[in-house]
Amino acid sequence: MNPVVRWFHQLGSPPTFDRFAARWAPWAYGSALLVMAYGIWAALFQVPADYQQGDSFRILYIHVPSAWMSMAIYAAIALIWRIKLCEILAMACAPIGAAFTLITLATGSIWGRPMWGTWWDWDPRLTTELILLFLYLGVIGLYGAIDDRRAAARAAGLLAIVGVVLLPVIRYSVVWWNSLHQGQTIRLLGESSIDASMLPPLFAMIIGTKLWFIGSLLARARADNLLREFGKDWVKALAETRR
Amino acid sequence: MSYLNYVIAAYMVFVVVLLWDFVATRVQIAQLLRSARLRAQRAKPAQAGAADGRHIL
Repeated sequence: MNPVVRWFHQLGSPPTFDRFAARWAPWAYGSALLVMAYGIWAALFQVPADYQQGDSFRILYIHVPSAWMSMAIYAAIALIWRIKLCEILAMACAPIGAAFTLITLATGSIWGRPMWGTWWDWDPRLTTELILLFLYLGVIGLYGAIDDRRAAARAAGLLAIVGVVLLPVIRYSVVWWNSLHQGQTIRLLGESSIDASMLPPLFAMIIGTKLWFIGSLLARARADNLLREFGKDWVKALAETRR
Repeated sequence: MSYLNYVIAAYMVFVVVLLWDFVATRVQIAQLLRSARLRAQRAKPAQAGAADGRHIL
């Protein structure tokens, strides 16, 4: 058997996954903190203020990576498979995605107050992002409402698949409609309309939020795995060793 | 224009939400392991009693 496939099958065993998650989550969190510490420091103290927006543009360094994470995580949930570990991972994504969506909406609103003169506007980008938050809450609520964990994951996964059509709408809302929200400023491929001197902290925050996601995903999946396996001998043995 | 208050507020939101994300998970795992430990402790006297031939009501 292919070593990668064998490793994945072994990881599917709940005790093996628990050991894996307990070992690697702190590393992911630690790396995320280091990278984000640099990103935040550079965003606040190194990068010059924008000539039009002043310091308020510094909110971009947390707003944009969070917005990207909010959409990427939702896409990951929709890729649910009929494997127990994948269900656990997919459902563990939802609260993290909701957290990033909340950050996106809140920081966007805080930026909008001085720049647009309002905390909120029913603009297509803002409205679709708000719907994304509700979808996350729906997935979390549905998963929590059904006692049978596997049935709950299937139902919540179905809701996630239905909601995935929203992602291209969020992405292209600034192109399709006349939007108060600015158009695409940063392009991974092609030229960005932001000055190159302002990009390094943004890349650091993009990497940092992804590392945070990995840490949080492992920790949340570990918690769900323990909950599903509660009462099994290996959980009792683990609890005894954690005195 | 500095808008410093808005910048601080936005970064505070970022830190607080991620802190909640971190703490909530750690608390959940600690509670689960504690419950498992307590359950195992409760099960021990019951098993010992059953082995002695005593019935625990």
